[in-house]
Amino acid sequence: MSNAATQTNTGGLGRLIRRYPFLPALIILVLLLALNGIFEPRSLSFRSMTGLISTYLALMMLSVAQTYVVFSGDIDLSAGSIVSLVNVSVIVLMQKWGGDGFSVIAACLVGALIGLACGLINGIVVAGLRLQAIVATFATSIFFTGLALTVLPVAGTPAPEAYWTTYGGRFLGIPFVFYAVAAVAILLAILMRMRLTTQMLAVGDDQQAAFQSGLPVTAIRIKGYVFCGLFAALAALCITGDTASGDPLVGGKMTLYSVAAVVLGGSALAGGFGTVTGSLIGALIIGLINALVFFVGTPSEWQNFVQGLAILLALMTGILVSRGARA
Amino acid sequence: MSELIVRGARKAYGATVALSRGDLHLKPGEVHVLIGSNGSGKSTLCKIVAGSVKPDAGEVLLDGKPVTIDGPRAARALGIGIFYQELSLAARRTVAENILLPAMPVKGGIFVDRTELEERTARIIAEFQDVAGEGFAADVTVDRLRADQRQLVEIMKALATDAPILIFDEPTSALDRAQVDRFFEILRRLKQEGRAMVFISHRMDEIFSIGDRVTVIRDGATVASSAIAETNADEVIRQMVGEREALSAESKPPVPAAAGEPMLSVANLNGAGFRDVSFTVGKGEILGFGGLHGQGQSSVLRAIFGALAHNAGTIEVHGKACAARSPAEAIRNGIAYVSGDRGRDGTLTGRPILENVTPIHFLRNRSHLARPGALATLADGPLKALKTKFQDIGQPVNSLSGGNQQKVVIARWLIDRPAILLLDDPTKGIDLAAKSDLFQLIRSLAAEGMGIALYSSEDAELLANADRILVFNSGVVTRELQGEDRTRYNLYHAAYEAA
Repeated sequence: MSNAATQTNTGGLGRLIRRYPFLPALIILVLLLALNGIFEPRSLSFRSMTGLISTYLALMMLSVAQTYVVFSGDIDLSAGSIVSLVNVSVIVLMQKWGGDGFSVIAACLVGALIGLACGLINGIVVAGLRLQAIVATFATSIFFTGLALTVLPVAGTPAPEAYWTTYGGRFLGIPFVFYAVAAVAILLAILMRMRLTTQMLAVGDDQQAAFQSGLPVTAIRIKGYVFCGLFAALAALCITGDTASGDPLVGGKMTLYSVAAVVLGGSALAGGFGTVTGSLIGALIIGLINALVFFVGTPSEWQNFVQGLAILLALMTGILVSRGARA
Repeated sequence: MSELIVRGARKAYGATVALSRGDLHLKPGEVHVLIGSNGSGKSTLCKIVAGSVKPDAGEVLLDGKPVTIDGPRAARALGIGIFYQELSLAARRTVAENILLPAMPVKGGIFVDRTELEERTARIIAEFQDVAGEGFAADVTVDRLRADQRQLVEIMKALATDAPILIFDEPTSALDRAQVDRFFEILRRLKQEGRAMVFISHRMDEIFSIGDRVTVIRDGATVASSAIAETNADEVIRQMVGEREALSAESKPPVPAAAGEPMLSVANLNGAGFRDVSFTVGKGEILGFGGLHGQGQSSVLRAIFGALAHNAGTIEVHGKACAARSPAEAIRNGIAYVSGDRGRDGTLTGRPILENVTPIHFLRNRSHLARPGALATLADGPLKALKTKFQDIGQPVNSLSGGNQQKVVIARWLIDRPAILLLDDPTKGIDLAAKSDLFQLIRSLAAEGMGIALYSSEDAELLANADRILVFNSGVVTRELQGEDRTRYNLYHAAYEAA
């Protein structure tokens, strides 16, 4: 009875949010863009936008990675360390193989394979051995960071020029990162239509129900981690292009940012509900907040404080908007 | 078409034996009723056949050949589909996605075939046209549906498997009469097609209207199996309860108690799903709410309990205004509420029995410190009085059968006696023996002076136990039945006529 009542009471905004769960995030994004524009009109220029995207493309990728495990109710605290491991591996390989175009592509492919392997390990540990996702991936994060440190003990080895000039360069007058964004958008549109995505969400919704429906729950969860590993590797390739060097600790800080981006994007951390688009927007929100903190001229010792507060505010706004729509 | 034989199936969870000797012989073209009190092992037997529970011993023969069913996927491959009593739905997915979740149609190997998905689900949904109710559609997420509609989705999900063997574990508990009738039409058609079906229900009338054969399970063992035509309700009940005394609750109407001073007065109550509801419950009276399922009975009870908002009208307890805005407030005013939806409103799943019996005590006494020993003594009395079966008060409440879980939920209200007891279809999914215990208790509570409002989706229960019956239709009380008027005919008549 009460359900029937909410059905009739829900307004147009509620319906929209049910259809597009990332809508509150989109509103926040527009708001932040406007604020950025007010404090620094030049921040809305094409150049600055390109800069913003090339800096935060890595976090966007990592948020996508995180989304696929969150879909099935899991979490990956090693996502950032996979970024580090792939980053240093790619850098070292490119250096070893000479740094020409072919070696760059070969190194990128190996990097992607390393990401896949890391994801597979996580999946087997969490879903196969049934260890708690938070603790198990925390442990593998230390393990992956350890590997990264043996591959490249100190930060600094530069990427070959061919690599970062491509990442920061233009084709036919359009910056490379926009092609990357377009490619990812197409890829995500394809992934969204996959049966696997529906199955992941069903597993995250109610694991027992999914099992009783005859879904291969363990395999589905492992696939989620493999997706996560792959997108973490893509994030590493982006960050390698942005920083143009190897750093065995580069991804560590990104892990929880990626979780925050997923939540900001309207996905349920408990699983079963969410969109990848939302996570992309979430990552951009974090990027814009960082930019805004800089543009309003926050003294450096206050930057963390303001940044944290701003993320909290964004989270609250998102919740208030969706709650207001539901009432 | 398939013939299924289960012999000597056994399943134990630690020391608790859920099923000691489960036998079942299911033939093509029959509806095979499985009956037994809650916790007798029916669901376990079904889950063994469906592959979601692994048996410790016993064999399963399909068309004479022994098979191992080591998971729900294996069961599906063998042609076995199941309706799970506790439902197996993904709440945030749509109706269509849920119906075909076990076998999502694909194109290109990996993509969901939306066209095929829509076409196939539209065909299945069309079977329940006109009875599915408002707001039911293929693209609605399941969390937006009512309990009866969710149950329909689970039925559709089982039907969509097209399996030659279908198991329905209490598929009708939340459905209204029209929905049940439609479901039975479908079952009869499937029977004609030669499919074999297991059907579990606690409603005798349903069992005798649809069943061909009945197998009785008692205390984890199959005790009898006979053709429906060669048995009757009394015999089945005797087989179910064994040597225990014949059950009384269903047969003789109560001696109408002289209602005392008004305990609960409700005037012109309005809210979502009901309007203009007025009544009083006297001291020692059991007031029944009747009518088809979901006509506002539950909502009125929940509104009085403060669990649902009401926007107009007055509620008085002992002549004192009491418009509770939260259950906590209602409880402090002496109102108790027991719902048939134990998962949502009753049990604290996974927590010990003790913690499930004592929360109301803590709330009413505003205590903050717990002394487990003293609490256990306090909890013991009500649990014993209700004949609750458990081994240890520290065992999780969900390790008990449905009937015993409900007794634990009721026990929590008996430590500090409320003045008013609201019963919202309290016997849903509870076996006959536990029902009988429950109604004896309710009658004695009324005799002690409690005012009781009882909504039951089973008319027989209502007729046997309520002193007065208010019949609900589309959210309004259309008729009040008293004394000699409390007949099945009058109840049906008032429930079915257009409001």
